[in-house]
Amino acid sequence: MFLHQLDLTTALRPSLLPEETLLFVQDAVGLYEGKYKIPQYQNGQAYLTSHRACYVAHSEPRQNSVAIFLKDVERHEFYAGFLKSSPKITLYPKPSKQLSRGASTAASNASTTPERRGSPAPAAPPVSATWVCPICSFSNPVPSNFDPATANARTPLPPCLACGIKPPLVHVVKAAISAMSNRQAPAPPLGYNDGSSNAPVPGIDNPASSGSGTIPCPRCTFQNHPSLTTCEMCGGPLGSAIDKRLDIAQSIGRAESPGPSLSSPLKNETIQSIKFSFRGGGDKIFYERLKNALVQRKWLLQSAPPIPKPRPASGSFEDAYSGNADTPAADPGRSKVVGIAGLERRGLEQKMNNEAMIGGAFEDLEALMTSAKEIIALAEQFSSQANLGTNGSSDANALASASALGLVTTKDMLGTGSGSESLYVSELSRNLAEWLTDDTRGILRREGGIVTLVDLWAVFNRARGGVELVSPADFEKAARMWDKLKLPVRLRQFKSGLLVVQGRDRTDEKTIASLLAWLKELHNDQAKDLPWDVHAFGRGVTAQETAERFGWSVGVATEELEMSEEAGALCREQGLEGIRFWENWLVKTPFHTLET
Amino acid sequence: MSTLPPPEGPQTPLSQAPTALTPTTTTSAASTFTFPPIYAFPPFFTLQPNPTTLSSQLHSWSTLLQSHCRHTRLTTLTLIDALPHPPFTNPTTRRSLSLADARTLISWMASPDGGHRAEWIATSSGGKAGRAGDAAPARCWVYWKRPEEWAAVLEEWVERTGQRGSVITLYEIGESEATRREEFHGIDGDLLAKSLQVCVKRGKAQVFGAEGSEGVKFF
Repeated sequence: MFLHQLDLTTALRPSLLPEETLLFVQDAVGLYEGKYKIPQYQNGQAYLTSHRACYVAHSEPRQNSVAIFLKDVERHEFYAGFLKSSPKITLYPKPSKQLSRGASTAASNASTTPERRGSPAPAAPPVSATWVCPICSFSNPVPSNFDPATANARTPLPPCLACGIKPPLVHVVKAAISAMSNRQAPAPPLGYNDGSSNAPVPGIDNPASSGSGTIPCPRCTFQNHPSLTTCEMCGGPLGSAIDKRLDIAQSIGRAESPGPSLSSPLKNETIQSIKFSFRGGGDKIFYERLKNALVQRKWLLQSAPPIPKPRPASGSFEDAYSGNADTPAADPGRSKVVGIAGLERRGLEQKMNNEAMIGGAFEDLEALMTSAKEIIALAEQFSSQANLGTNGSSDANALASASALGLVTTKDMLGTGSGSESLYVSELSRNLAEWLTDDTRGILRREGGIVTLVDLWAVFNRARGGVELVSPADFEKAARMWDKLKLPVRLRQFKSGLLVVQGRDRTDEKTIASLLAWLKELHNDQAKDLPWDVHAFGRGVTAQETAERFGWSVGVATEELEMSEEAGALCREQGLEGIRFWENWLVKTPFHTLET
Repeated sequence: MSTLPPPEGPQTPLSQAPTALTPTTTTSAASTFTFPPIYAFPPFFTLQPNPTTLSSQLHSWSTLLQSHCRHTRLTTLTLIDALPHPPFTNPTTRRSLSLADARTLISWMASPDGGHRAEWIATSSGGKAGRAGDAAPARCWVYWKRPEEWAAVLEEWVERTGQRGSVITLYEIGESEATRREEFHGIDGDLLAKSLQVCVKRGKAQVFGAEGSEGVKFF
């Protein structure tokens, strides 16, 4: 399917895949299929991420939200808009994707089409590739299940058939990539096998015997018999033979693969194109970033292996500082250095690590494929560092750092249309709500379910790591949007004016109930010899005690107690040591009747 | 009055604790006054900011003050002098009402909300009655029976004893042996005069005579 179901977070934003980063957000966007508007998809927000283009509808976001994987996008078009027609960006799905899907959904012979997993390479794996052993220069076939995009150091490699020495991974990857780029046509279904073939190799097309003339070997130019799949002389694959056999193969094996123009029974699966209509502006930046994302192809890196970290001979440098999540905990023997010496050493380690990484990666450009993730990250970092002093393009660096922290909404990402300010605030609002409700962070839980807005602002900006800091005014505006956006947190104003943030499920009634329950417990507290009837009245509590008990800050505790007093559940006692709060026996057991 | 615990032990529900400081009663000439349980509740001595709670609290205070004054046969209070003693101070819980709060209480009792159960006694300095301020009066009436109610009691007594039409001196009403069993025995002279004024206004009595030796005649 071109259109995918989109998972939303609690704050009704697309939940990002691992490694996925948000690039741009624009509101007032509508969707078209081909020329026609799609009903219910006419007013929403477009999220561009490194992997997907998402649409989240304004009303009913849980139902009317779709995502398009950029890897499925064949090409894109930009339409600048004219008079009343809004600017539009059109995305066309990859035909090959449709082809294979169409075959699998068609009624006949569906089983002959192999299920492709979400490999970044849309066509068949390069099974006809060979690698030349660096020791004995024997041509070995690359294993049919070898995929250069996902291969890493742990991928099992067969040894050379002649000398039995295992080849280096880089070598095989290189061979596979060159074979992939040499291939000229998509391979027909793997299961297809011509009976006249002598030695059928799985996954390789077997030209039928009825073909015309001979096939020249692409490696040694020997004219082979058309029924051969490998060159008689050098053993190289005769892959190019497929082209000539295409018409015959279609009559046999490709009949069940309808072309893109054939309509499949499911209407919504034959999507010609999807248009994003930008009614509120932001189209240019969206398109710019979309093009960049399509060029960068971050999704290819999803399964790229981490670069092996060479360890200097001295053994004193560990890579624990490199920040790589894959790195296991540091060796127990490693001595801890703190202070300036530690910082210096950390910088030195980082430098050595980078050196090793670049040194290893650029030995062979093809080998970049295997360590692409780190190298690209490093290159981006270098470029941003180089730009830092020269012009104002430090934004990218800031953007990257912020997104690395999972705090993704920055002003830079948002559209510049009419409502860009409010869009920023609403995105910030969602971002905040998401961050607050993130169970792994547990911000609210640590603060006893309630935190003052000022404290939260400080924590939030600290979590942003010093980049893209949020101004207090924006922060407050964002917090005030929670109610409107129906997010699971709410902003509450105490009567003193103190603003606090708490979960939506935390109501005053629940707070009062928990306070009263606690005060009830104190009835049985016989610790101190108090001069009143503890059993009947319990004991008064200070804001300090309450804060300790519930994990609130003292300010919040005071406000909660006063709120309960306001509601009539508590009453106060002003003493020398400050105010203590009690259960409201003044109302519960009054002395109103005058005995006569 | 005394704050010492009577050896016989009070019948208050708050006296179960083993300490010697627990009794919440105070002895007077005849019997002990039983304080309500709320008297031992520490927040009772802090006026509450919540209006609902405050209203209930003032009501309780008013009731307590009236019943305590009735018990001790007091009709006027000098706040400064009364504060260190029950009911304004609870020696057991060591809580007491502040002077400002006590003034608020009396003012509230004097207001229509409090049922006019108190009245400031204007001092010679000219402080306006019912206002707690710099020139606030130091003394007040506590009407556990308002003058109208006393008037009714007096009329009933005159009716019952068949003294209608005869002249009675104020001393006779307040101090004589004949009224020893009556509620108004020992009544404050000023309050008695106030009450008789009510009767005069109703046309039920006539007061005559010189200052200090007045007589009253009920019709």
